[in-house]
Amino acid sequence: MTAPAISVRDLWMVFGEQAGRHLVAARKASDDREVVTERLRAEDLIPAVRGVSFDVAEGELFVIMGLSGSGKSTVVRCVSRLLEPTDGRVEMAGENILTASSRRMIELRRSKMGMVFQHFGLFPHMTVADNIAFPLKVQGVAEGERRKRAEEVISLVGLDGRADAYPRALSGGQRQRVGIARSLAVNPDIWFLDEPFSALDPLIRRQLQDEFLTLQAELKKSIVFITHDIGEALKLADRICIMRDGIAVQIGTPAEIVLDPADAYVAEFSSDIPRTRLMTVGTLAEPMDGRVPDPKAPPLPEDITLEQALLRCLAAEQCALMPVVDATGTQTGLLSAEALARGIGGSADVPETAPA
Amino acid sequence: MTALAARLNGASPAVQAALAVLVVGLLAAVLAPAAEWVAKWPVAWTLPATEAIGTGLSATLEWMKPAARLASAALGVPMDGANLLLTGAPWPAVAGLILALAYWVGGPRMAVIAIVALGFILASGYWLQAMSTLALVTVSVPLALSLGLAVGVLAYEVPAVKRLVETVLDVMQTVPTFAYLTPLLVLFGFGPVVGLIASAIYAAPPMARNVLLGLERIEPEIREAAAMAGTTRVQRLLLVEIPAATPQILVGVNQCTMAALSMVIIAAVIGGFDDIGWEVLLTMRKAQFGQSLLAGLVIVVFAILIDRMSAALPEQAGRGSRRTAGLIAAGAVALGGLLWVLGVLPAPAELGILRPVSEAVDAALTAFTQANGPALDALKNTAMFYGLLPLRIGLDNAVLPFTWGFAWTPEMSLGLLGAAAALGGWLAWRGRVVAAVAVMAAVYVLHTGIADLPWPFVLVSIGAVAWRAGGWSFAAFTTAALGAILLAGLWDRAMLSVYLSGAAVLICAIVGGGLGLLAAVSPLAWRVLRPVCDTLQTIPLFVFLIPTLMFFQIGEFSALLAICLYAVVPMIRYTRFGLTETPPELLEAAVSSGATRWQILWEVRAPYAAPSILLGLNQTILYAFAMLVIAALIGTTGLGQSIYIALGKADVGLGVAAGAAMALLALVSDRLVQAFATERRRALGL
Repeated sequence: MTAPAISVRDLWMVFGEQAGRHLVAARKASDDREVVTERLRAEDLIPAVRGVSFDVAEGELFVIMGLSGSGKSTVVRCVSRLLEPTDGRVEMAGENILTASSRRMIELRRSKMGMVFQHFGLFPHMTVADNIAFPLKVQGVAEGERRKRAEEVISLVGLDGRADAYPRALSGGQRQRVGIARSLAVNPDIWFLDEPFSALDPLIRRQLQDEFLTLQAELKKSIVFITHDIGEALKLADRICIMRDGIAVQIGTPAEIVLDPADAYVAEFSSDIPRTRLMTVGTLAEPMDGRVPDPKAPPLPEDITLEQALLRCLAAEQCALMPVVDATGTQTGLLSAEALARGIGGSADVPETAPA
Repeated sequence: MTALAARLNGASPAVQAALAVLVVGLLAAVLAPAAEWVAKWPVAWTLPATEAIGTGLSATLEWMKPAARLASAALGVPMDGANLLLTGAPWPAVAGLILALAYWVGGPRMAVIAIVALGFILASGYWLQAMSTLALVTVSVPLALSLGLAVGVLAYEVPAVKRLVETVLDVMQTVPTFAYLTPLLVLFGFGPVVGLIASAIYAAPPMARNVLLGLERIEPEIREAAAMAGTTRVQRLLLVEIPAATPQILVGVNQCTMAALSMVIIAAVIGGFDDIGWEVLLTMRKAQFGQSLLAGLVIVVFAILIDRMSAALPEQAGRGSRRTAGLIAAGAVALGGLLWVLGVLPAPAELGILRPVSEAVDAALTAFTQANGPALDALKNTAMFYGLLPLRIGLDNAVLPFTWGFAWTPEMSLGLLGAAAALGGWLAWRGRVVAAVAVMAAVYVLHTGIADLPWPFVLVSIGAVAWRAGGWSFAAFTTAALGAILLAGLWDRAMLSVYLSGAAVLICAIVGGGLGLLAAVSPLAWRVLRPVCDTLQTIPLFVFLIPTLMFFQIGEFSALLAICLYAVVPMIRYTRFGLTETPPELLEAAVSSGATRWQILWEVRAPYAAPSILLGLNQTILYAFAMLVIAALIGTTGLGQSIYIALGKADVGLGVAAGAAMALLALVSDRLVQAFATERRRALGL
């Protein structure tokens, strides 16, 4: 098995004077994360990330979700080494990047990484094309080739015709398209997106989310995506990491997060999520285990949402136990009305009726 | 006793500070007549600091001299070159090049300004002198710009250096301009190179400040985006950070250029170079005020042109086409060359058609001052005898039968101080202890005079106010600073400086505050005041002396007027700014509560504007100190005079010590007002 695209182990980021020394001392004194945190705070230090671990598989869209101050942006900056983590390991394709020399870091950034920023981070004195071609320019790619690649990425993000405009002449949505294009200019393997759509108004945001999904279906990058919007996380993610107070509270698929929240905090997040429109039948399907579905029950394709399943169920004569089918029509599992109701209503309401 | 201590502990810091002032003030007032050392710091107690500084610095300077002389010779080459080129080349060519530059920077509008300005300079007959000044500026500005850029970038790139750089910049802002000149004079020898170097040193800080500010204001994400693109540190700085900070850096270029021009003109007091500043000084000394005014106006026009042109640099929008600019330049050079070759080019001095005008002005002025002499004298004397003198030496010494019509008696002192004590007591009884002590202190100052105040009283009062504003460390700093002035034996002169700048600041606060208020409520008034303020801020300090000298001759009153003219501007600006920058929601809330216009002004706008007005006051104080030294040229006493005398005698010790004392006074008042402004700001949650 190949190494994951990104592997983060026990990452700590503590801000303040002599943070490293204090962290080592505090961790020697205790294994308990809360005790360590208390000691650090007593020294007027700010522990922003406290022992976070996760893996991002190749081609996976990994979303880190948390409210402001949860440490999510700090995590992505540690992983990209814009900040030096106080402790922990960060590996990319097996290479420990925290011990990489600054020369090697520059090399990695020039070939392997791209990053998109919340407020775009566009260079105000450069045109759209110059902004996008900047990562190529700094590694000495010739002018003509730079321009060609810039044009390619510009059409990829749908900005044709704006190549020579300056950022100040663009709308927010267009600016972020430039930011996305710039981050893709060197065709990186690893793509960091720090709340890329948070500064945009809702309509543009949804549009860009959809385009982003289309783009990712084609590009298959390994992605760390930061957001504070649970809806966005559920819509985009392969897996989600929920952060709170610098800790990864839960890591799981969207369905796991919604259906099986690790604690009340996570449950609170998903409580007003219209899960019926987010979750697909596939996430609730149970193994057949020799059971037979109701003969008159409608077959449910794996990829329809619970809302659609509910409509089909209501329209049918019988739907206590429905067959779940894949794209070819082959039956892959079962869905009981009970499980469907649980998926719609939330696990907290009817936990005791969970199937044995 | 313990009950009293307990109550004191419970009192607010302001009250505790006020009580300390009261106790020391009473002690000083009682002891001063009896014990000489309280009233006046004994000479025996001073340290020979001035001499020590003089000896130490002279030795160091001697040691550095060979290198300095070498640098001086090296700098002399480009300066002489520029001078030769600008004064030697046919004037239509030089004027045409300046016009082309103006057109390129600011389009047709700027070209018109340039034509008017250059036409005026030609017509004044001071073309050659103006070009000599320009030659100095063209050499000193690049020097100052590169110095400022280097320091700014260094402070940005090396965080450890930043604090140090900021402190040095702060201090340099408060060191009076003439104070640089004396050591430089010793180091580089007599001549225009001193002015050149002084102006480069003086003009570099605003550049460094703006570079640092511009670089620090870059959004962090822009920096991160550059890092993630795989830039090296040098690439990041050159390709992203400096270009992104360019608008702010160009503001620095404008300020730097204006400062360099101002200093080049001030440096004319050293002499040795036939530039426009020297011309002003010369005509002023000869009391040819018409000519002096004309030369002064040339400086003003020159300054306005340079200001407008460098201020237009950041604006890409107004640019004229390079082609047209090139054509203008080429045409002018060709025309100038042709006329010169043909020998029909009139010398610039022959074009001085305004000369007769200035002579007429001179004559008219003489006639005017002769005709209105008594009225002008009466004005001056009234201000002197009933305002300035009591403030300086106190009512007890200023009230004489010869001016006031009666003699001051000890009984009157007793009556005045008694009345003050009664008023203070009443206020204290009403619970307003701070106000009570303030009233008593004010009356005491008026009675005794700033120059005659017992030093323990000054030390403790300022220390107490500093403690209230910024805690123990700040109080220690102010006391140490004032103590150093005492020990150096500069106390009397320092108090004279405090008195004159204090009087100027008081006038500026009242007049400037009033004008600022007027400008805030009446847009029409602001439309009139704004260009006046703009012009006053562009005029090099020197020029302010001319009009006051014209009417009131040499003396303290003229100096006071010049200081006020220069220092009033920030007070007007900041007051208006503060009063008009109230957030709209606050005003809407006030209006919907049914407040009248004046209620809104006093209840909402004024409190909100307080921090801004305090900053204006702070600027006014610094401006007053800066001008005080220049005003020494026309007769003030105090530290400014010492600095000026030191310059004449190349006395490094006195020059540096007096300059340092001046800088300490400025630093103390700057920090004091800043501390109160910061506190107000914090209280308002800004």
